[in-house]
Amino acid sequence: MRFALLVAVVSLIFATGIGPAVDQAKPKTHTVTMEGMRFHPDELTVAPGDTIVWVNEDLVPHTATSQAAGFDSRQIEAGKSWSFKASKKGDFPYVCTLHRKMKATLHVASAAP
Amino acid sequence: MKISTMAVASLFLLPAASVSAQSVSDAQIASIVVTANQVDIDAGKLASTKATSPEVKSFGQLMVTDHTSVNKSAVDLATRLHVTPEDNPTSQSLKADGAKNIANLKTLKGAAFDKAYVDREVTYHQQVLDAVDTVLIPNAKNEELKALIVKVRPAFVSHLEHAKQLQSAMAR
Repeated sequence: MRFALLVAVVSLIFATGIGPAVDQAKPKTHTVTMEGMRFHPDELTVAPGDTIVWVNEDLVPHTATSQAAGFDSRQIEAGKSWSFKASKKGDFPYVCTLHRKMKATLHVASAAP
Repeated sequence: MKISTMAVASLFLLPAASVSAQSVSDAQIASIVVTANQVDIDAGKLASTKATSPEVKSFGQLMVTDHTSVNKSAVDLATRLHVTPEDNPTSQSLKADGAKNIANLKTLKGAAFDKAYVDREVTYHQQVLDAVDTVLIPNAKNEELKALIVKVRPAFVSHLEHAKQLQSAMAR
């Protein structure tokens, strides 16, 4: 019984201790909402390999389009989402091609927060 | 031409003015929302085929896309809430004015068509926004219906700004 408890405690320590180190290497998923005819956040820094999910919370379709970064969601209908895996490093401005005043920038850098 | 434009504009000012004094039910609000969207879809369809300027054409197409999407959400919500849109003087005026606008636009061609369509879009979106703020939001009783109208407001503001930008580009 005592041994079982010890094993449980040790595995818990290992699990929590090792967990964060593994997480840092793991690609992350970031969410950008399209709401009130804006991108939230309008500046986002990610690491190469991370995934960005654009969620359309508005009642009209939107797009997330960047010529420089080479992504184009096409129309994301109201209530739907679209994701993109970042690979190329750099600063990529993007727009909604339907509503050109909707602008934001995706930064793909090694030292993502 | 100036007189007829003014006459149409003054006619259009009537619905919101007359309705602001009275209280409207959720069923009537649902009808106003659906009609207001449909009127702009109809005009947008015409502009997307008949406009000369590519910018005006694509604005017309955007109005079809956006207002169709908004109407889908509005109809879905009304169905879910078991609210049957109820015809009322405001929705009837919107419909009648929309039909008059289409009839007027069909008589025009080229730059005259583009100008008339864009001018009307500016007036229309301003008018709809006024109705949203003074009639629809204050009178909506169901919270989800009210939330839908609040949520759609920024899109209408964006359309108004877009139309104004086209209007000032044409004046140059």
